[in-house]
Amino acid sequence: MANEILEEQIGGEYKYGFVTDIEADNAPKGLNEDIIRFISKKKNEPEWMLEYRLKAFRYWLTLEEPHWAHVIYPKPNFQEIIYYSAPKQQKKLGSLDEVDPELLKTFEKLGISIEEQKRLSGVESRIAVDIVMDSVSVKTTFKETLSEAGIIFCSFGEAVQEHPELIKKYMGSVVPYTDNFYAALNSAVFTDGSFCYIPKGVRCPMELSTYFRINSAGTGQFERTLIIADEDAYVSYLEGCTAPQRDENQLHAAVVEIITHKNAEVKYSTVQNWYPGDKNGKGGIFNFVTKRGICLEDNGKISWTQVETGSAVTWKYPSVILKGNNSVGEFYSVAVTNNYQQADTGTKMIHLGKNTRSTIISKGISAGFSNNSYRGLVRVSKGATNARNFSQCDSLLMGDKCGAHTFPYIEIKDKTAVVEHEATTSKIGEDQLFYCKQRGIDTEKAIGLIVNGYCKEVLNKLPMEFAVEAQKLLAVSLEGSVG
Amino acid sequence: METSTKQNTVTEKFLKLIESSFPTIVDGKEKDLAIKAFVNQGVPTRKHEEYKYVNVELILKDDLSVATNNIISQEQVEQFNFLVDAYLVVIVNGIFSEELSRLKDLPKGMIVCSLDVAKENHKVIFEKHYSKFADINADAFIALNSAMAKTGVFVHVSKSIIIEKPLHIIHISSAKKAEIINPRNLIVIEENAQAKIIESYETSDTSAKIFNNAVTEIVVGANSIVDHYKIQDENEFGYLLNTTQVVQKKQSLFSTHTFTLSGSLVRNNLTIVLDGEHIETHLNGLYLTNGNQIVDNHTVVDHCKPNCNSNELYKGIIDGKSSATFNGKIFVRKDAQKTNAFQSNKNILLSDDGSINTKPQLEIYADDVKCSHGTSTGKLDEDKIFYLRARGLSEISAKKLLMHAFASEVVNTIKIDALREYVEEKISKRFE
Repeated sequence: MANEILEEQIGGEYKYGFVTDIEADNAPKGLNEDIIRFISKKKNEPEWMLEYRLKAFRYWLTLEEPHWAHVIYPKPNFQEIIYYSAPKQQKKLGSLDEVDPELLKTFEKLGISIEEQKRLSGVESRIAVDIVMDSVSVKTTFKETLSEAGIIFCSFGEAVQEHPELIKKYMGSVVPYTDNFYAALNSAVFTDGSFCYIPKGVRCPMELSTYFRINSAGTGQFERTLIIADEDAYVSYLEGCTAPQRDENQLHAAVVEIITHKNAEVKYSTVQNWYPGDKNGKGGIFNFVTKRGICLEDNGKISWTQVETGSAVTWKYPSVILKGNNSVGEFYSVAVTNNYQQADTGTKMIHLGKNTRSTIISKGISAGFSNNSYRGLVRVSKGATNARNFSQCDSLLMGDKCGAHTFPYIEIKDKTAVVEHEATTSKIGEDQLFYCKQRGIDTEKAIGLIVNGYCKEVLNKLPMEFAVEAQKLLAVSLEGSVG
Repeated sequence: METSTKQNTVTEKFLKLIESSFPTIVDGKEKDLAIKAFVNQGVPTRKHEEYKYVNVELILKDDLSVATNNIISQEQVEQFNFLVDAYLVVIVNGIFSEELSRLKDLPKGMIVCSLDVAKENHKVIFEKHYSKFADINADAFIALNSAMAKTGVFVHVSKSIIIEKPLHIIHISSAKKAEIINPRNLIVIEENAQAKIIESYETSDTSAKIFNNAVTEIVVGANSIVDHYKIQDENEFGYLLNTTQVVQKKQSLFSTHTFTLSGSLVRNNLTIVLDGEHIETHLNGLYLTNGNQIVDNHTVVDHCKPNCNSNELYKGIIDGKSSATFNGKIFVRKDAQKTNAFQSNKNILLSDDGSINTKPQLEIYADDVKCSHGTSTGKLDEDKIFYLRARGLSEISAKKLLMHAFASEVVNTIKIDALREYVEEKISKRFE
């Protein structure tokens, strides 16, 4: 009986697997300097940007793909990928009415109604959205409202044109192109992404959000996000993503950089729901992402919250470099893997400044034939006096064919540091289930209850809109999967 | 590219050493396989994940030669013979010493002899177990030992024999010029038997680097109870790479305790395979580091079958410029349901220049399990020091008391009184 429920629930279909029929402007397949020049030209980029891309590309050529992660996947053929694909519709959009109706429909299907957002403009809980489809940003909402506060929120491409001084100063300062294989690849071929600058003393009045969608076949998505919070600024940033159902594996290699100045705070939340492949592990997105923030000056705070449910293979370690004194880094994560999904995710907390603190809460849930690994690094450098870290990594196993792994690295070079790490692995307790059932709650609901309780610490950290989506996602993937 | 050529020259150096090391326990085809495995793996560098925190180059930078059989006097042995009431085996530079050992009154059912003798006289047992657990393809140093080992100790306890007195094996290294030794031990405890084994690693009369690449294989038979202790107390010339490969059969109880008190570099590879149901395993460790010492404890607990328990506790106090590493892995295989596995690593960092790296890992493929690990690193608790000082203790004695208390959790797991007293005394001296 339990197995039936498991089958049924795990069999939950991916809701966002449709393809939108929008004419796209594609670059030819393959990767070489000409393609990079083509992308750069398409984006009408200045010379220095092209130089940067080419430098990154030449460096990338010298690198080998990393193999240390606890994941197995066929090596992507980098010459078979289309590196640039844009929905055809090049003229600048003044109002929503000019957006391709097909596109609007797509986003409505995804549950992001731009129209509705517009109608809600006057209301408190509004969100400014930057929508990125395949390679380019199609629409950024609420730009005007934001610019009144001095906030710059636009696509990366626009920022390169309009705020080159900021891009030049900050791009690559946290994740240089020499960082790793996929960061180098991204630096060479990134097509768009979001850019956000919160000026001194401004508390961003609304949640900023980027929605990523892969649509065209055979493409890879390489976007870059850059968030800068100047002194005393605050912003909460959301990121969501989906992709159509395809038999091939599509590559997503993004870079996210966050910089906080004195007393600034950035809260970055992700609900990652790329297409995870079908029940037999065919297709799905390879999600190889480099996310890193730096608390450049004193009293900064960076907080990562992520709910990872999608992608065939995930390889992602949102990190914080705690450089300023008294800076704070946080990482809250729920990673769910099902069927043949594989996730190797975690965080890095690098303590450099004095009195720095970090918290890591990671909850892994694995079901089906999946493998879910937590891999994290806590490093306290010499001179980082009174650093404090607490890490907790729990894994929940559902079914006897999946795996849950924990690989924490703890490196301490300062005697005043206090670092604690604990991890547990178990399944849902029979007694917990029994308790619920005895009180008239059926198995499915009981498991939903227990899983939600298990993830509560993390889900609580999500902004309200996302929390609802995340809970629904969890329900679809896991309800009733143990008996 | 540069590192790999460097690595090749190091590997070549070793090939010369292997040539000059004879007669070895195994020869012919088996030796060739070991050499091949060693060449294939090469000497690990810091890029090698398992050797990330240990600079193997430190061991290999001097020109090593194969150790000669140094003469050690009875008096020199006596200073390490801290157990009066025990059977004694003395191994000098990897060679079993008949004269210095004290094995006259061995009880019936127990064999203790040199491994090369065992190969001839106890052929069946030897062939059944030798080199069956330490995989030459798993680690380059196991391959190196397999290719170079001349002898070591062989211990066999027959079925249903209970050995009351502990067996104390003293490995004494002694060198005047940089040398390498490759002792190889095989310990087989048959069904329903019980034994207590203490291995201690000492240096005597040593004024040059001595690299001790020891491999011990232990077979713990069904329903047997084995208590295993390692006391590592070499001097500043001692470089110890100690591989211990244990296989446990059903319903057995195995406890191992590793005390690292000194030595320039100590690397312990401890692997325990739980090959049967209802097994209980305890792993305890204590490392006290100082100066430029490097101590690296790698443990693997491999749960292959259901209904087993394992419990691991490693503690360390790090001082001076020393660095300590703990890397513990718990494997729970697909079939190993109802596994309970616990792992704990606690460290105190006393100095500004010391460092700790800890990597407790869980790799779990079964769902009905309870596994957890925890690690903490910090300084001595200020509140506790204050509490003691408020009661009239000086700061130094308060700290000493707290360190004693910290270490005692591991020390108290020693079941042999004389040994516990010896270790306590050693620790007290260290804290002075």
